[in-house]
Amino acid sequence: MSNREIVVENLGKEYPGGVTAVSDVSFQVNSGQIFGFLGPNGAGKSTTIKILTTLALPSRGKARVGGFDVVDEAERVRRIAGVALQEIGIDPLMKSTELLTMQGQLFGAKRKDALARAHELLELVRLEDAADRRVGTYSGGMRRRLDLALALVHKPEILFLDEPTTGLDPASRRDVWEEVRRLNRELGMTIFLTTQYLEEADELAEVVAIIDQGKIATEGSPSKLKASVGTESINLAFESRATAETAVSHLSDMADNIQTDRDMVRLYMSEAAQTIPAVVNRLQQANLNPISLTLTQPTLDDVFLQVTGQRLQTEAAKPQAA
Amino acid sequence: MTTPNLSAQSTFSGTAVRNNQASLPLQIALVTWRNLVTIFRTPTALVPPLVISIFFLVIYESTLGKAAGFIPNLSGNSYLGFILPLSIVSSSLSGSGIAAQNLVRDIESGYFDKLLLTPVSRTALLLGPILAGALILGVQASVVIGVAMLLGLQSATGFAGLAVVVGLAILLGTGFAGFTVSAALGSGSAAATQGASFLFFPLTFLTASFVPLDLLDGWLQTAAKLNPITYVLEAMRGLLNTGWDSTALTQGVAACLILGVAMYALAVYALRVRTRRS
Repeated sequence: MSNREIVVENLGKEYPGGVTAVSDVSFQVNSGQIFGFLGPNGAGKSTTIKILTTLALPSRGKARVGGFDVVDEAERVRRIAGVALQEIGIDPLMKSTELLTMQGQLFGAKRKDALARAHELLELVRLEDAADRRVGTYSGGMRRRLDLALALVHKPEILFLDEPTTGLDPASRRDVWEEVRRLNRELGMTIFLTTQYLEEADELAEVVAIIDQGKIATEGSPSKLKASVGTESINLAFESRATAETAVSHLSDMADNIQTDRDMVRLYMSEAAQTIPAVVNRLQQANLNPISLTLTQPTLDDVFLQVTGQRLQTEAAKPQAA
Repeated sequence: MTTPNLSAQSTFSGTAVRNNQASLPLQIALVTWRNLVTIFRTPTALVPPLVISIFFLVIYESTLGKAAGFIPNLSGNSYLGFILPLSIVSSSLSGSGIAAQNLVRDIESGYFDKLLLTPVSRTALLLGPILAGALILGVQASVVIGVAMLLGLQSATGFAGLAVVVGLAILLGTGFAGFTVSAALGSGSAAATQGASFLFFPLTFLTASFVPLDLLDGWLQTAAKLNPITYVLEAMRGLLNTGWDSTALTQGVAACLILGVAMYALAVYALRVRTRRS
């Protein structure tokens, strides 16, 4: 019985020659969750996804996808899992309708049904207009979208996406994000995605695991992870230094640490967002009106720095040729 | 843009997909069809082997055709009918690389991994490119035969015999394609696959290439008798020059089958190594 969960216990993988790609990884992805697997190049992301999708065997440990063992029940796993690997696996000489229809037929659909499904998916990923062109003429973003469509042909319950937006321009990246959210929301699909972009993990994932040197460095919801770095702050600006100092005297018990800089006050605390109403309340009672109020939250980059001791090289900001 | 209703399971029932499986013949047909499509979309790979074998046919015939009268024991009526099978076999050799090049491209692009993740049987994955390759060789053989007819070829067994010659070419092609497909699976590299297909080339010379078998030097005659291609050539020559000869035909078909089965076994092994999931 499939349950749309992914359970990984003490997974490890050495390649011939003694290279350790994954040393000891355990995590669980719940039904209907979007799970982000974040890490730099070579951290073990792709190897983990290859083991989970039955393309590689683990050296040790266990993994179950949708309740099926990835080693002993590989055939069952392939039936319920959809996979879009980092290297876009499409033949440039074929047309997308042909690829999608054949994929559907290989999964046991009748030709007529496979063709109908192909058109449905082409509409979904907005490639109807390019349906009868050879894939070789597609842009990078179009190929990604086709690859995603191919992964969806058999209506998988669990979707694996290996760096789905690497090399895409910002607009195409947003399209993919939108698609991933929609699949998750409308079909309750469990989605396991690897990424090296903090922004992507933050945008999409309910739970993020940071993998570094073959091990899970930390795991949790993006907001919880950021809160654990503990440098959230509420920033208040007042009319004058004097008002700011009065405010500090009223707020001193509300923050772990307070800094004053001329007419600016910074209140450092965990769960800053939830504390804003109380702060505003207190200021109103004292008849103090701030000119501005902002919230500063730590980023996943701060989390990454704290758990791995290095910054994640992120190219997310750089637009790349599609 | 209207959003298609993803939740609708109307066209493609989820549960059906879980259990359905395309029948093996359908799977083989699908993978073969797909290989043929891509082969025909790269005509530049298709033409050179054909041109080369027609070139050799014309050269051999022009060089040795008039001398044929001096070659004793040349069965039947023409040197053209004697040399045409060699031309067909060598075009099969050079053409069999086409199927394997497709496979290399699939491995490089990752499409092969994608196919491995479907419930497609390993048999279909292997037979697809092999059969596509063999069918292409059948087409090439037909064209070469057509040219030979323009040069004045007269078949001793008529069109039926010519059809059998094409059939033999296809059958022999499965063996050649099995070998190049193994090379593609083993190396995953276009250059290595190309190189490996040259290994078969000497086989077209370690045989009764230009003169009948009993005129060969001692050691070469022994080598030729061990070479399956010899029997395929003999069977084709018999059909073109002398007439229906069930012994020669049986030996020719048997040689093709032995080669085909052996090369298929090699391909199965190569696929197993590639997909060992290590």
